[in-house]
Parts: sequence; structure tokens; C-alpha cells
Amino acid sequence: MTRPFRPTSPFRAATAAVMAALIVTLAAMPVAAHGPDPILGSSLWPQDQSVVYRWRSGAEPPAALKTAIRDAADDSNATRASRAAIYTYGASGTSLVGYGTGTCGVNGIGCFTRSAPDSFTMWLREHGRVFDWGTLRWCQMMTNPANGCYDAETIALDEFGHVEGLNHHLNYADDRDYTDAVVQTYSRTRPSAGFDMHRYGVCDIATLQIRYDIPKASSPYSRCLDLVTILTLGVNDSAIPYGAAVTFKSVLKVASDADYGRLAGNGVSSRTVRLQRRAIGATSWVTIATLAQTTSAGTYSATMGLTDTADFRAVFTASSSEGLVGDTSPIVRVTVAPCSPAQCPLPIIGV
Amino acid sequence: MVHRVVRRSVRTGSVRVMVACLALAGCATPAPTAPPGTAEPIPAATARVPATPSPSDRPPDATLAAEGGDPVAAQLGTYTWGESGADSPWLPGSRISVGRGEPLAIAFDRPIGIARWTADYVPAFATDGSGAASLGRGGGPPLFPAPAAGSWTLVVTVRFAGDAGEARYFWRLEVF
Repeated sequence: MTRPFRPTSPFRAATAAVMAALIVTLAAMPVAAHGPDPILGSSLWPQDQSVVYRWRSGAEPPAALKTAIRDAADDSNATRASRAAIYTYGASGTSLVGYGTGTCGVNGIGCFTRSAPDSFTMWLREHGRVFDWGTLRWCQMMTNPANGCYDAETIALDEFGHVEGLNHHLNYADDRDYTDAVVQTYSRTRPSAGFDMHRYGVCDIATLQIRYDIPKASSPYSRCLDLVTILTLGVNDSAIPYGAAVTFKSVLKVASDADYGRLAGNGVSSRTVRLQRRAIGATSWVTIATLAQTTSAGTYSATMGLTDTADFRAVFTASSSEGLVGDTSPIVRVTVAPCSPAQCPLPIIGV
Repeated sequence: MVHRVVRRSVRTGSVRVMVACLALAGCATPAPTAPPGTAEPIPAATARVPATPSPSDRPPDATLAAEGGDPVAAQLGTYTWGESGADSPWLPGSRISVGRGEPLAIAFDRPIGIARWTADYVPAFATDGSGAASLGRGGGPPLFPAPAAGSWTLVVTVRFAGDAGEARYFWRLEVF
């Protein structure tokens, strides 16, 4: 329905002026966007659960789309970087993947339902279907894919992401972060950037990690996260005889924060944790060792003999390649007793 | 916080604008508010959706209207609703003519709480949202000004209260 043109009344002109001013005000507001995908649904799959799917009887996808959907399941398994569910095809699967008219709403090209931890359904609409917005073309169904076609593997990966519990990524208004997530509010067509994403984006992975945890203590955290870490430092003895060995133990953990989900309190292994020393009365710190990873998650240690009382601290410098914030431990002072005559270094005698 | 939180600020010089805005329809209020005709806000903790939605479960239909104009139904794009959802292309939108700067209001076909909304626009016939500009965002019933004269695709993204779901609504704006 189109509204006919109406002459502008004084009230409407004033209102328009107010709203025009509002444009300026709103435009000045920073845009809150970008971050881990919002979560979808309250139920989760058990960690690393194998979820078996099969083709819906009477609505099996054509061979080319079966391949694309299987590939998308493999993409999800290979790039989830978390302990999210694993999709496998099996003739006895309880989750159904269909193709055809389905129930994807008026304009949908793909859709899903999820009933974690039991099953899910997925649909892809039929190639060649004419919508109000145009004709659906799956690139995989075309001998020579034309511009404007949709990549079925990407769309299926998007649906698999929903099934895991991901909602649509909140992009910046200009979509410059589009490729940070495959679970998007609208899918791009060939040849636009991101139309054929065959792996989860960093912000998809961030939410998968929050909801399902990372695979191992040494696994990287998604760059879409910004997790505060807590670094501690302790010694086995803070007052030692001259020259005695002391063992420094440092623990690096993700901070405990409700927003961090399953990542909260995780020990963080296989990172670089440096031990720094500051002489009594000095102001500068000097790195004296890199603490070695122990067998305990997030725990690092080093043992060394000391001959001077000094302050020590551990330092974790975060890498830009993952979503952890660096931290420095509280200071630990180790007091070293004076040397006995037999232990003391010989004075340097001038010539 | 996991997200990098961006705090909003309102210039003191825009107080009159905001007062006028609130007088019009309470736009850009930071907290979820009750939809028209609802006595109480829908509490986030109690607004539940069925665990296994039936095919008829989907977001409400939306209409867009300028002051004094006929409401125009949106094209419903991508949405999630409860434990289900559908992914749609970038849509051209339902056509509506409005005046530059006019306040545009969105209504839904059933009472429902709005957690937050954004309104963005791109030139008509764009194939996606690249380069979109914002017309507004906030909580409560969506209200925002029409953009400059021209032909535009307007997409309004709504997250409903109580984690009921979210939806994108498209209109083709002819702004005179």
C-alpha cells in the first residue's frame, strides 16, 4: 500500500524538524555492535555430543545439495573450536534435513528447529523457487554458477550454527564486520565477500566457546572475545638461606564472570608467562625467566637459586591473535638471608 | 563483560529534541517498555515461548506508518523465534511514501514487548546492507525519523522481550 502525497502542514513541518534534529543526535551516538553472536534458545547439546541427521523421507535434497549439506556439517565440526555438538550423517539419525517447500516462512531460503539435546530439523528451499524478492538459485545446482546465486554450503552452515545455539551476529551498521560470523541476518550472494564462508567466523566461535567451552586448556580463545585473565604468583618459601633454591609457581586463569559462561575460571595453558625481578629500592623490572608449563592446566613454574632479597612478579602479555586480556600478578618478595663467610663472594681487589 | 560495551551519550543541547521525541512516542528509551495497550511491561523472566514451536509460531507482523498515513505491512526477513528460525535474503521491502524527517512509527499485530530495535537504511535496489546508515535505535516501540529525500530500503531489526526472538522487517521508502 502506498500513501499518497500530502501537503505539509505547519505541525508536520515542525515535527519533521524535530525528527531531523533527532537524526543528528542519533548519528552522534556510537553504535553498539560487534561481539560474540547472541545466544539462541535455552537448551544446549551435551559437550561434543554426536548429533546424527538423515535426509527427510520424501523431501531429500538433490545430490549436489546433499554434498553441500554434508560439507557444511564437516565445516561445523572442523571449525567449531569448542566442545559444541558434532554433526554426522546416519541413516538412523533422528534429526531430519529436508529440501523443498518446507516451512521457512514467506521469504526464507533456509530454516531450522532445534530440540536440544534430542534432535533438530533443517530445510533448504527448492532451487528455482520464485519469491517476491526474486528466484532462488543455489550455486551448487548450476553448472556455471552465476552471480546472484546462494552458496548452499554457507547457508547450511548458518543453519547448523543456529542448531548449536547461535543467534544472528550483530554487525556494525555498515556491515564491515560481516565476515566475522557466518550466522548472519541475511546471506550474501555470489560474488559478494562472505557469500561462500565455509568455516565459522570468530564471533560465531566466541559464543560456541562461551556456551560449550574450549577443547583444551591450550586452545586459543576467539579474537571476538575480550576475556579478563587473572595471574597469580607464589613461592614455596618466601624467606630462604643465601643461595637456596626457590620455586615460583604462577597460575593463569580466565576471570570468573557470569558472562563468560563455561570459560569462567578456565586454566590457560601453553602461553608465555614471564618472571620479572626488581631489586630492593629499584623501580624497573627485569625479565629473568620464562616460566615453564606444568602438567596442571594454567600452571607455570620455575626454580632458581637466589642470593639477594628482591621483589618478583609474573607477567602475561596477551597476543592479538586471541581474545584474552593480559595481566600482571601481585608482587611477591623473597627475602634472602645474608651469606656466611664461606658463601659470600670474594671482594674484588683493585690493582 | 564479554562485549566491548559502548556507552551512549546525549548532548545537553539535544534535550529539547529528546523531550519532543518523548512527547511524540517515547522513542529511544533505554529500558524495555510495555507495548501499546499493555498495562504492565512484559517481565523478561516470565515471557516464555513454547519449547517446540508449531509452524505457526513466528514473530509478529509489523506495519510502518508516518503521522496521518496508512500503515504499510513489512516484508518479514530473517528471524528467530523460540527454538526455530528462518534465513532470508536482503529484501526490497514494501513500498511506502513519506516526507523527509517525518516521524515513522512501527506497530505490531499483537501486543509484545520490545527489548531493543535498530533502524538502518541503504539506497533502494541495494543487494545487501553494506554501507547502511542508522536512523535510530533504542528500546520500546520503534520510532525514528525518515531519511533525506530519495528511494531507500529500510530495515528494522527488533529483538523482542523475554528472549522470545528477533526479526528483520523491510520497507521501501520513497521520501519526498
